[in-house]
Amino acid sequence: MRDEFLSEEDLDLRNLTEAELIAVWNLWLEQAQATNDLDAALYSHGVFDIDPAPHPSSRLGGQEPRKSN
Amino acid sequence: MNNPYLDLTDELNRGRLRALLSSGQAVVVHRLAIMSKDGDWILREDAEAVGHVLEALAGKGAQYRFGAPLDLRWLAGGWSAHLEFRREELRFRTDFVTRPPRIDAARLARMWADAEATGNQVVGVEPLAALKLTNRDKDYAVIGELARLMTDPRAQLLYSRSSRDLIELAEKYPEVLAEVVEQRPLLGQMADGREALDEALDRERRTFMRVNEERLGQYLTAAAAWREMWPEVQREIEGLPLPEAHAVVTSRAEGVLPFEPTSGGAS
Repeated sequence: MRDEFLSEEDLDLRNLTEAELIAVWNLWLEQAQATNDLDAALYSHGVFDIDPAPHPSSRLGGQEPRKSN
Repeated sequence: MNNPYLDLTDELNRGRLRALLSSGQAVVVHRLAIMSKDGDWILREDAEAVGHVLEALAGKGAQYRFGAPLDLRWLAGGWSAHLEFRREELRFRTDFVTRPPRIDAARLARMWADAEATGNQVVGVEPLAALKLTNRDKDYAVIGELARLMTDPRAQLLYSRSSRDLIELAEKYPEVLAEVVEQRPLLGQMADGREALDEALDRERRTFMRVNEERLGQYLTAAAAWREMWPEVQREIEGLPLPEAHAVVTSRAEGVLPFEPTSGGAS
């Protein structure tokens, strides 16, 4: 028995071919866009925590906001 | 098929090694987990590198997010610069530092030398583990697996998050343990058994998290005036091409965001 840190699904990345890894990675990035509205003001890296004025294109799933007629 | 972060890393390094892919996307390259949709790079701290990155991102229509200007004066103080762009329906965040946390100057120089020697544009497992000693719980799971990828028992002893692995390493490499015990106090508790070691690992993790929180707290305090000014700066740069936006962000940050977080006040 050994201590487990990550799921088998995570660690299974090791068994993928390079092309499979890229495909899984790209698909994950695409699906992760669903949370763009939720993390528009947040940071994953660096020394800042909250954007006081996130750009509108950070939200809306990465789409430019539509101008109303 | 290509990956956008690997492609961008190639672009940032066209003609010269300037940027090392770090953090979450580096964890993917090491095939441990896919946990982050944002990109993070360690940049060389020189004007050519910064200029090339700005040019590459300008070509993608990138815009500044709240953060430090991508300018050596702030980067040398450990600040991070944050930009983002869109490609089709995807939002890409690009975060840059030249002085990554918990990596001292000698280690940083070794990282660049190793990258030059191997042509590898991705942060290696050992410095990546140091970078992951953050205030986020999930990063410690990644460190636990990164340690298992390390080939040097010294590094494994310094980064392992598993009491079982540590006990096994200590039995196998007692002379290495003796060498590194001063660098990691919990290694001195190896004889106390797994329960004690697990408690020590928990304490150590909480200490790392607090230390990182305090480090970030210094930056957040130093950035208070800049944060207040940012909505106005954001309006000013709205729609501007990146080179012009960069000039505005840089000139507005001067005197408001100190170059060093501990220097306070104007820079």
